[in-house]
Amino acid sequence: MDDPRIFQGKPVLQFRTETSRRNFLKYAGLVGVGASFVAGGVFTAPMAAAASADQGGDIDILNYALTLEYLEADFYAMGLAKGLLADRELELVTPIGDHEKQHVAGVTAAVKAFGGTPVEKPKIKYPDGTFASRDSFLKTASMFEELGVTAYHGQVPLISSVDVLAAAASIAGVESRHAAVVDYLLGKNPFPNPIELHASMDQVLAVAGPLIVK
Amino acid sequence: MSRLDFLRGQVNEVSSPLAFSALSNRWKLAKADDFDSDLDVLNYALTLEYLEAEFYVQGNAAGLVKDDEKSFLDTIQSDEQFHVKALTDTIVKLGGTPVEKPWVDFGTAFDSRKSYLTTSHTFENVGVGAYLGAAGFIKDKAILQAAAGIFGVEARHAAIVGILLGLPAEGGVYMSAYETPIAKEDVLKAVAPFITKQMDGTPTGPADTGGGSTAIHKGDDTGLLVAGGAAVLGAAGALAYAANRKSTADDSQ
Repeated sequence: MDDPRIFQGKPVLQFRTETSRRNFLKYAGLVGVGASFVAGGVFTAPMAAAASADQGGDIDILNYALTLEYLEADFYAMGLAKGLLADRELELVTPIGDHEKQHVAGVTAAVKAFGGTPVEKPKIKYPDGTFASRDSFLKTASMFEELGVTAYHGQVPLISSVDVLAAAASIAGVESRHAAVVDYLLGKNPFPNPIELHASMDQVLAVAGPLIVK
Repeated sequence: MSRLDFLRGQVNEVSSPLAFSALSNRWKLAKADDFDSDLDVLNYALTLEYLEAEFYVQGNAAGLVKDDEKSFLDTIQSDEQFHVKALTDTIVKLGGTPVEKPWVDFGTAFDSRKSYLTTSHTFENVGVGAYLGAAGFIKDKAILQAAAGIFGVEARHAAIVGILLGLPAEGGVYMSAYETPIAKEDVLKAVAPFITKQMDGTPTGPADTGGGSTAIHKGDDTGLLVAGGAAVLGAAGALAYAANRKSTADDSQ
C-alpha cells in the first residue's frame, strides 16, 4: 500500500453541524474511533431495561459505531453503484454493502433502545480517485475493514452491558469476514494475524484523526 | 448429530431471521451453569482449538490441496496452533490446568479436497459460534479481548474456506450480517463425533509442547461429552501429542 493511512490521510468526514463534529470527537476521546460495534434490531425492551448503570458509555460506543457504520454503508453504496466489479467479485462484495446498511439500522435501533439519541449521518466526502477503479475501491475497502476490525477489538473491554457486548461481537465477526474477503480479492493475505489486533484509543486516533474535517 | 451431518455442514443451517432471534435470545440460549469461571471457558475453547489444530495437521498432511489453497490452509493450521498455545499459556498463567488434547478421529474428512474443505468450513463456523456463545461468561476483560481476537480470526477462516469451496456469498462465505452464537451443548454435540473414547490407562508419552510431563488417560469415562464438558478433562496438564495422533487409527465412524 502506498500510503498506509486510510484515504491517504485525507479528510472524508464532514459533519452537518459543529456540535455533531464535537460529539464525534468526544466519542473519539472516550472510546476511540472505528468501533464497528454493535447491533441490531436485536435490542428488545427488556434488554434495554437490563442495561447496566454504565450505559452512558455504551451509548457513546454505539453512537461511535453508528458513525462508522454510516461511513462504511455509504462507501459501499457509492462504490457498488460505479459498476467496478463483476461476476464473483460483485457477488462477494454486494453483501458487504447490505451488511453495513443493516448495521446502521441495527445500531440506530440499539441507541434508541438504550435511551440515547442516534448521531446523524455525517456528510462524507471521498478523495478523488477513491472510486476510480476496481483496485482503488477494493484497496480503500480493505483499509476500512481492517481499521474497523482493529479499532473494534480495542473497544471490547470498554463495553459494560453484556447485551451490547454480544451484539457488538456478532457484528465484529462479520467485519472480520469482510476484511478477509476483500484481502483475498486483492491478493493479500486474508489472515494477517493469528489473533485480531486491537488498537488503543491513541493509536486509532492517530489514524482516524485526519479523516475528520476541522 | 452424526459426523456425516457435520461433514455436510448441516450444523450451519441457520437462517438470517433465526440468527437474529438467536442473538436477542442470547442469554436465554445459554444456560447459567454452562461455565463456572473464565478458566472453564478457556478450557472449552482449548478443546475446540486442539480439535481444529489437529484437523489441519492431518488434513494438510494428506496432500489434498495445493498452491494458494495450500498456503491458506497452512496459515489456518498455524493460527489454530497459535490459539492452542495462547490458551494453554493463559490457563497456566491463571493457575488453572489446561485440558488434555482430546483423542480424535476425523473419519472420512480427508477422503477428498471437498470433504476436507467442507469439514473445515463447518469447524470454523462452529468455532465462531462457540466463542460468541461463550463470550458473555468471561469476566476478565483482558481474556475477553483475547477471546474476541481469536473469534475474529476464526470468522476470517470460515469466510475464506467458503470462498475456496465456491459457496454462495450469503449463507456460505458470510452467514448474514450478524454472527450467530452457538450454545455449548450444541457445540459439544457437533464435535462429539470426532472425539474418540480414550483408552484405559494408556501412557501417552511425553508432550511435545507445553508442560513436559506425561499425561495418563484415566479410564473410559473421561470423554469430553461423558464428562459433561471440556473443562473437567484437565488432568496431567501435558498435551500428549504423539499418542493422540496414534489414537486416530481406531474407533472410526
